[in-house]
Amino acid sequence: MDQLQILGIVNVVLFLIVLGWPVASILRKWKANKIAAEKPQAKIPDKTETKPPTAKQPPKPAHSEAITLLATLQREARFVDFIKEPLDGYSDAQIGAAVRDVHRDCAKVLDRLFAIQPMVDQEEGSSVEVSAGFDAGRFRLTGNVVGDPPFHGRLVHHGWEAAEIQLPAWSGTQFSARVVAPVEVELA
Amino acid sequence: MSTSRENETAKFILGFDLGTTNSVLAYAPLDAENPQVELLALPQLVSSGTVESRTMLASFTYLANPNEVGGGVLDLPWTKQRDFAVGEYARRQGAVVPDRTVGAAKSWLAYSRVDRHQPILPWGAAESVAKISPVTASQRYLEHIVAAWQELHPEAPVAEQLVVLTVPASFDASARELTREAALAAGLPHDLVLLEEPQAAVYAWLADRGDRWRRALKLGDTLLVCDVGGGTTDLTLVTVADDSGELVLRRMAVGNHLLVGGDNMDLALAHFVAGRFAEKGTKLDPWQSVALWHSCRNAKETLLAAEGAEVRRGSPDPAATGGATSDQYPISVLGRGSRLIGGTVTTEVDRLSVGQILVDGFFPHCKVSDRPARRVASGFRELGLPYETDTAITRHLAAFLQAHGPAPDQPIRPTHVLFNGGVFKADILRHRLLEVLGEWFSGDTQAGIPSPQMLGGSHDLDHAVARGAAYYGWAKHRGGLRIRGGTARAYYVGIETAGLAVPGAPRPLKALCVVPNGMEEGTETDVPSDEIGLVVGEPAQFRFFSSSTRKSDRPGELLSSWSLDELDETDSLETTLSAVEGAEDDYAAVRFRSRITELGVLELWCVSTKNNSRWKLEFSVREDAGPE
Repeated sequence: MDQLQILGIVNVVLFLIVLGWPVASILRKWKANKIAAEKPQAKIPDKTETKPPTAKQPPKPAHSEAITLLATLQREARFVDFIKEPLDGYSDAQIGAAVRDVHRDCAKVLDRLFAIQPMVDQEEGSSVEVSAGFDAGRFRLTGNVVGDPPFHGRLVHHGWEAAEIQLPAWSGTQFSARVVAPVEVELA
Repeated sequence: MSTSRENETAKFILGFDLGTTNSVLAYAPLDAENPQVELLALPQLVSSGTVESRTMLASFTYLANPNEVGGGVLDLPWTKQRDFAVGEYARRQGAVVPDRTVGAAKSWLAYSRVDRHQPILPWGAAESVAKISPVTASQRYLEHIVAAWQELHPEAPVAEQLVVLTVPASFDASARELTREAALAAGLPHDLVLLEEPQAAVYAWLADRGDRWRRALKLGDTLLVCDVGGGTTDLTLVTVADDSGELVLRRMAVGNHLLVGGDNMDLALAHFVAGRFAEKGTKLDPWQSVALWHSCRNAKETLLAAEGAEVRRGSPDPAATGGATSDQYPISVLGRGSRLIGGTVTTEVDRLSVGQILVDGFFPHCKVSDRPARRVASGFRELGLPYETDTAITRHLAAFLQAHGPAPDQPIRPTHVLFNGGVFKADILRHRLLEVLGEWFSGDTQAGIPSPQMLGGSHDLDHAVARGAAYYGWAKHRGGLRIRGGTARAYYVGIETAGLAVPGAPRPLKALCVVPNGMEEGTETDVPSDEIGLVVGEPAQFRFFSSSTRKSDRPGELLSSWSLDELDETDSLETTLSAVEGAEDDYAAVRFRSRITELGVLELWCVSTKNNSRWKLEFSVREDAGPE
């Protein structure tokens, strides 16, 4: 085989290796976008018509409590809007103006749903004792961890713990199971 | 008030606070040694298809478009396929779909110019919206709370418990009757007791203090209860009296129904800030205006808290303002679409102007002889409700204290003040009110007379009324201190005087006192008067008036003139006389007899002067006052 030809094949292979995955990914994305773009026109009005005429139970929605939490943070504090928005091009002052409200409202949600509190009362920086039989999930020991408890050390972080869990209960359809914020349309 | 009905099956006392903007249920088990008052967690829709528990149920109803129903988005743990929602979701919808959201139903209950049984809410909404009546809206909030209770305590049906429901002290007999009607329709028991909200706030304070209250109040003291909620202001005076050696509390006066409250403050601030935006060339659309209102509520809480700290320290202190040394405070309206930062508009307001707008606008320094500006008949009536023209709560307070003084132009001097309502979470507003009272009634240190003081103790301003209601029910059942006072108002029936008719002029109207101010529960009285002739078989209608200021009128007294603000006309009363057996006359001569039941319900009867026949007068359904 002639050297040029081998080089050519190698090039093509390299090209495929380098570009192969992104191309596939682009293709997948393009397909998904196409479906998504078709969905609002085709899918939503069809929803009732495509239902089987018999009174069959709809499939159990693929619901997750994490989505409910995200939806709550979005609804009350615009959390997802804020995180998803690229910060490029905004001045710190602009971001600051928005973040004040988002921050305050996120804190309100965390307080209400989880009542998040420090796990120990001592000031950070003070010395603390970790007694024998401690739960490794509640205390993280760093530095020179040798010997047996009780351990003595400096409190670096007081920890956070949810005093309660009051997640909203969700009762939507399979079509809205993953909705973090619904489409909003204002009618004139 | 000798016997409270012994309810054998009751396990709990339930205290309902049906509020203008939020409703609460507090309860206490009857078999515990001490009153252990708890708040019921109220599951409610916070978004479509999402239910969360809160201690307060937002008193709003959202009437969904039929296309929005289905798929279980308005389901509650206890009900499916609803076409409406109440609670937090409804409140939020009020901002974006105002034409389908009912708010302030309670203020409508007290508004006798409209028929409260007619579907008139949301006021001014399009024809296609299936409107509901103020009574129905109130019924739905109570039904929701009842259902939430039943979920948690299926073993204790609400209809079998001891129930106390609070109403504003300023509610007249007809507004109370409508509240009762909504409550019974919602499944509350017939022996439910209505308790005035400011009294409930006092009970909450008593529950908190226990026997120590006797150290805070002494014989002859006068307590002013100042209750400023979201939409209304309710004033009450309670005195400490002596009853055979025991200190007792007596409610001596209540104020008129004032439609001014915390929401007005948020709106005033929003109006000011919208002006600041306009100066910068930013015009806010309706959605942004609502968002601004929300931002202003937060700003009000933050700024007033900081201002209060400064007042306490005596001088402006940077540390007191949360470390921010600037006199400017940023207020933002977040972008509406998903582009949050890009769409955000911001302006800065200086703390001084905000303080002026809120503190001086609503609690201005004034003289005790000042009067609120008069309501203009054709004035601003955006929502149909007669909102106060004068938002200065201190001037309304001055008028109230003057009206109940020992002599004309001599205001009554309160020795203590009990604050209630979310507005008073702000220290600065409590301080200002005490400051103004101090100017009116300056203390005399040499004589040992202090200026009016705030009652100490922990105050749960959002839930005090419901807690107090539950504690009151406990005290009524198990024995404990009660506030006495009887009816807060005197009631009058309009009598047209006989005499020569003058063409074109109505016959002069006189007002016959049928219930004196302070008539106690469980008592009844004959009303001496001339015989009144009524036609048998035809409805007889009487105009009906009430007064919170005329205290010395006795039953049978006939007023021939009164000033406009002395007597308020409320729903008229009517009855149809059935044919009297054995009587041949087609008319009957009657006199009135009035009764206040054990449960505080006013009943007025026409009693025949010839035999024992009697007919009960009922509030008439207004036919003349449909939706405007």
